[in-house]
Amino acid sequence: MAAFWGTNNADHQARICHSTTVAGVANTWGYGAMTNSYNDIRNAKTIMVMGGNPAEAHPVSLQHILEGKELNRANMIVIDPRMTRTAAHATEYVRVRPGTHIPTVYGMLWHIFKNGWEDKEFIHQRVYGMEDIRKEVEKWPPDEVERVTGLPEAQVKRIAEIFAKEKPSTLIWAMGQTQYTFGTANVRASCILLLATGNVGGFGSGANIFRGHDNVQGATDLGLDVTTLPLYYGLDENAWRHWCRVWEVDYDSMLSRFVDKTFMQTAGIPSTRWFDATLLPKDQVSQPDNMKAMFIMGHGGNTITRMPQAVKGIEALDLLVVCDPYPTTWAVLSERKNGTYLLPAGTSFEMNGTRTASNRSLQWGEQIVKPIFECKNDYDTMYLLARKLGFADQMFKNIKVENGSVSAEDILREINRGGWSTGYCGQSPERLKAHMRNQSKFDLVTLRAPKGDLEVGGDVYGLPWPCWGTPEFKHPGTPVLYNISLPVKEGGGTFRARFGVERDGVSLLSNGSYSRDSEIKDGYPEFTLSVLKRLGWDKDLTAQEMAVIQQVNPANPDAVSWQIDLSGGIQRVAIEHGCIPYGNGKARANAWNLPDPIPVHREVIFTSRPDLVAKYPTLPDARQFRVPNIGFTIQKAAVDKGVVKQFPLILTSGRLVEYEGGGEETRSNKWLAELKQFMFVEINPADAAERGIKESDWVWVTGPEGNAKAKMKALVTERMGKGVAWMPYHFAGWFEGVDQRSKYPKGADPIVLGESVNTLTTYGYDPFTGMQEPKATLCQIRAA
Amino acid sequence: MMTSLLGFLRFIFGALAIALAVLVTPIHAEPQVPPVNPQASAITEQSLLQQAPRIEGRIDIPNETASVLMQPDGRVWRYFHEVLLHWTGAILILGTIVLLAIAYFVVGRLRISAGRSGIKVLRFSAFERFSHWLTATCFVLLGLTGLNITFGKLLLLPLIGPEAFSTFSEGAKYVHNFVSFPFVLGLVLIITIWMKDNVLRKVDIVWLKEGGGFIPSKHPTAGRFNAGEKLVFWLALGAGVAVSVSGYLLLFPFYVTNIFGMQIAQGVHAVIAVLFIALIIGHIYIGTLGMEGAFEAMGTGSVDLNWAKEHHGLWLEEEIAKGRVSNLPASATPAE
Amino acid sequence: MARMKFLCDAERCIDCNACVTACKNENEVPWGINRRRVVTINDGKPGERSVSMACMHCTDPPCASVCPVSCFYVTLDHVVLHSKDLCIGCGYCFYACPFGAPQYPKVGNFGSRGKMDKCTYCAGGPEPDGSPEEFAKYGANRLAAGKLPLCAEMCSTKSLLAGDGEIIAEIYKDRVRKRGYGTGAWGWTTAYHEGIKV
Repeated sequence: MAAFWGTNNADHQARICHSTTVAGVANTWGYGAMTNSYNDIRNAKTIMVMGGNPAEAHPVSLQHILEGKELNRANMIVIDPRMTRTAAHATEYVRVRPGTHIPTVYGMLWHIFKNGWEDKEFIHQRVYGMEDIRKEVEKWPPDEVERVTGLPEAQVKRIAEIFAKEKPSTLIWAMGQTQYTFGTANVRASCILLLATGNVGGFGSGANIFRGHDNVQGATDLGLDVTTLPLYYGLDENAWRHWCRVWEVDYDSMLSRFVDKTFMQTAGIPSTRWFDATLLPKDQVSQPDNMKAMFIMGHGGNTITRMPQAVKGIEALDLLVVCDPYPTTWAVLSERKNGTYLLPAGTSFEMNGTRTASNRSLQWGEQIVKPIFECKNDYDTMYLLARKLGFADQMFKNIKVENGSVSAEDILREINRGGWSTGYCGQSPERLKAHMRNQSKFDLVTLRAPKGDLEVGGDVYGLPWPCWGTPEFKHPGTPVLYNISLPVKEGGGTFRARFGVERDGVSLLSNGSYSRDSEIKDGYPEFTLSVLKRLGWDKDLTAQEMAVIQQVNPANPDAVSWQIDLSGGIQRVAIEHGCIPYGNGKARANAWNLPDPIPVHREVIFTSRPDLVAKYPTLPDARQFRVPNIGFTIQKAAVDKGVVKQFPLILTSGRLVEYEGGGEETRSNKWLAELKQFMFVEINPADAAERGIKESDWVWVTGPEGNAKAKMKALVTERMGKGVAWMPYHFAGWFEGVDQRSKYPKGADPIVLGESVNTLTTYGYDPFTGMQEPKATLCQIRAA
Repeated sequence: MMTSLLGFLRFIFGALAIALAVLVTPIHAEPQVPPVNPQASAITEQSLLQQAPRIEGRIDIPNETASVLMQPDGRVWRYFHEVLLHWTGAILILGTIVLLAIAYFVVGRLRISAGRSGIKVLRFSAFERFSHWLTATCFVLLGLTGLNITFGKLLLLPLIGPEAFSTFSEGAKYVHNFVSFPFVLGLVLIITIWMKDNVLRKVDIVWLKEGGGFIPSKHPTAGRFNAGEKLVFWLALGAGVAVSVSGYLLLFPFYVTNIFGMQIAQGVHAVIAVLFIALIIGHIYIGTLGMEGAFEAMGTGSVDLNWAKEHHGLWLEEEIAKGRVSNLPASATPAE
Repeated sequence: MARMKFLCDAERCIDCNACVTACKNENEVPWGINRRRVVTINDGKPGERSVSMACMHCTDPPCASVCPVSCFYVTLDHVVLHSKDLCIGCGYCFYACPFGAPQYPKVGNFGSRGKMDKCTYCAGGPEPDGSPEEFAKYGANRLAAGKLPLCAEMCSTKSLLAGDGEIIAEIYKDRVRKRGYGTGAWGWTTAYHEGIKV
């Protein structure tokens, strides 16, 4: 829809969640999603949770983690500044300073490399650039690690040894790694740890990245992202031409909707910077004008940092549309009165459609409640808007709309027709509905249905992508990514040869490692028609498939790749010969296109250790995503001004099990609201005693930017280490001590209101993704 | 005990296993990562039950009592209420009645030795009588409804059935709760108006030593109130305060105390109440059946001159001296 | 005949409150009444454990014993229930219960206590099974439909087990054997005068 409108300023919740994961992990080995699955964790012998609290954020995943821990007598190592409910069940809990993920990983790798615990064969065959990592790791001997992270040598050595030796080991993470100005580097360090120990591409190992909410994986996959079109094709001309072919829309007509071709191919403004795009002087915003209108569909207003700026931003907009089941913070945060529209949206229970889970499985959901009141589901709303804007018949050319009701099946079929790059092509509505009918047939741990079953035999539940070829090809889906122990036809795979064939004389293709039954017993590049011709496999293409390939690029059909071949023939043929369409490459420990090709430790913008900034500063100021990123200037100013003296406590934020996201919906639920009735800050008993604060006292928390302040209750607990405070981010409805309940439309105010932690959070953006930094800033707390 | 024995055996077994493993492993083998012991800091139910009277933890809902996970003291309180209180209460109250019956049949009603004179002396004013009867009526209501809580299900429930009994008991609960207020008022009045007359004096010790009028040959004198009455006063005061305070703690549960405090409050209330009832039964006996001429003191307010002379001689002297007694016979002189 | 019990495996409980929310929703439990609750012991310290607690349906129920109007009864499945019609809201059952199961709405004189409400093992009350009156007073009657209490069904980690005592004891024993540790079946010695021998 944004494409048809002519803008790339379309973003989604993952910006503030796993945007760094997707970018960092994809730039390491091909795709940026969870490599295994929740169920597969039951096969692990070592489970390391670093930067996540699944007991509260993903409670049901703990069933798999704990069963795995029990059945395999597995190690469960939790690394977290807070002793969370997850850490309570750990076999080893490691209390670390917030924002020191990379030194921790390098500290572990220091011991691993020194003692030769790394998986040398795996590195030799399937990893590029590990020598660069070794050089960097030498800068992190135990005393430097302890100086920066606070972790003692013995503990780091112990967990390193366990992780490297007691395999299969899996690494689980969530916001604790991603939400930093170096989030992309963080997740790459995690990937490198897994690569160094040979823990990718097998059962019980892998990067088990826990995604946030229902279908956020789907949102990311379908490109609701400022940097790409659907299915990670990117924004270059080839990507646009591909989708124009799929949508059956003329490329030039699409181009004409944009200001110019440059803008068509330039990444838009991420959701974390929207108010900067609105408020900053025009010359600081790289587009024709400031951002003046905003259409928000299901996104909280209190989940983005620097809320005092957001207040000003909301007031400055010409048009604000909030499409949500609840009015949300957007409606009440500022004094804005006019030009604001609330469109009632239905919930996901009021519509059909697929949802993509963290483990890449797609599940078909049926409508179980008809939309209540005047609510409409998202498809219908978008259809109506497209109609008003005049391009509905173009956009919905191949999608049936009956009486204003959009066919979800047709949307999925269109995705299947265009989603070749990510393997979203084989999951037809029919196959997925069959899976839902036969749920009980799929095994709990392997996720496979027995081969003999008529409807779903051999399939993996939900046909996790990549599910290659057309639906008729009946690929079973890929339960574990990059798994060379299985043939591609049964869900096996290699690392993606995404980054070229060689660099500086070193091959980027795999070295003698290949998936089972592969006819090419070595690395190979991505498949195009010309590659097929070189191998003589083009003869296996049917006439129909050849015809489609010719149509895709009549001028140069040989250049047609597995990604843009609309027939699916290139994929089919490659797989028939045991090869995976995206090539067999090495994973990159050195990702040269990123701001930090090798992960490098940098202190957070508002750091509690100004003494470390000289050695580990953040990246220089630059213009990113159309707006300036002046993190370096701000960090330096904070150090020069000695901000840490006035704000000595590290403030970090996170989730509660009772509430979800912005919290408007869950705080309106009476069962959940009763369980957490007040906004609060967790504070260590020693810190509380110093400030004369007792359990349940009201306190003022102040932040270093713009005299930010917030009033809430204190929860005094030993969960927090001394010098660190924590707040949940789900609350809204109070702002700087003022209760805003009266501003909500009558009857639509949530039961529980409270201050938002993002009133206090501060400047800081990851240069590659625009990710914000709510996980480590500074604050001061005093009794109210 | 079971758990610690098991734990001990497990420890020994584990230690032996490790020792064996160490001996068997070749010296040059790479040292293994030590086996996982995730429960190094485990908490067993038994260990916690021994540590504290209650197992308390953290809970985020604002409900003070909910953070108590287990309070095994509840079982102790149950034993107290269902066994000890039942038996003690029954024995005390029935026993008192039996003792009084024996007293009545053995000693009999205490008569006015000189016989009635026909002359009346004002003993208690209207206000004093009001205060007493207010307190007394309330006490009877409170006592009966209170006893219903403990004994009702044994005595009354089988007679009238569960529905009627519940309806009755619910009403009784409300009576008990609301009548407590006038009772406390009456108690305050009584304490205020009679405190000064109830201070213990030497004559009371003599009265006690001489058997308090129950031994026919002795005739100890007394002031306005004799030692027995003073004892009743002070005991009633103490018991009254105790049941009132504990009662209000029960009426406003968990405002002041936690579960343990509430159990104590209930225990105090029940035990004191039973003792109080026994005391008052005695008081009622002596004020009605037990002594001729006693009831009219609180009934009409005036007593017979000879009764006064016999039992409260010192008081009568004071009253005559103050000129409050009319129609004195010419020869009337206070006894002794 | 089965003897219905709960067992909360403290090694698995993560204080997610799914059991609490399930109970609230299924039985329409009003605000302020906590039929089931999760308590965390040693919060933030090593050895932190969470336990989900509701009525344990004791073998020798102290609540029934101390009730002045004897409004409790025990079903054939050994579920301990009571009649709200007979209850006078005196509060004694709460003093006696080692687990704090009885709950009282803040109505009645001085808002101190109304009629007692507690976990019914999703087995309703004395009214006819599945009737609207039963639901209004006591909540759902799942047991009559052959289903187990919803709290245990919803438990994220299968920490809360509900069912016949022999069966769930066997499940728990099996778990402890496989994993090598367990902190015990909370409350069983207090409620049933027996533990679980592993």
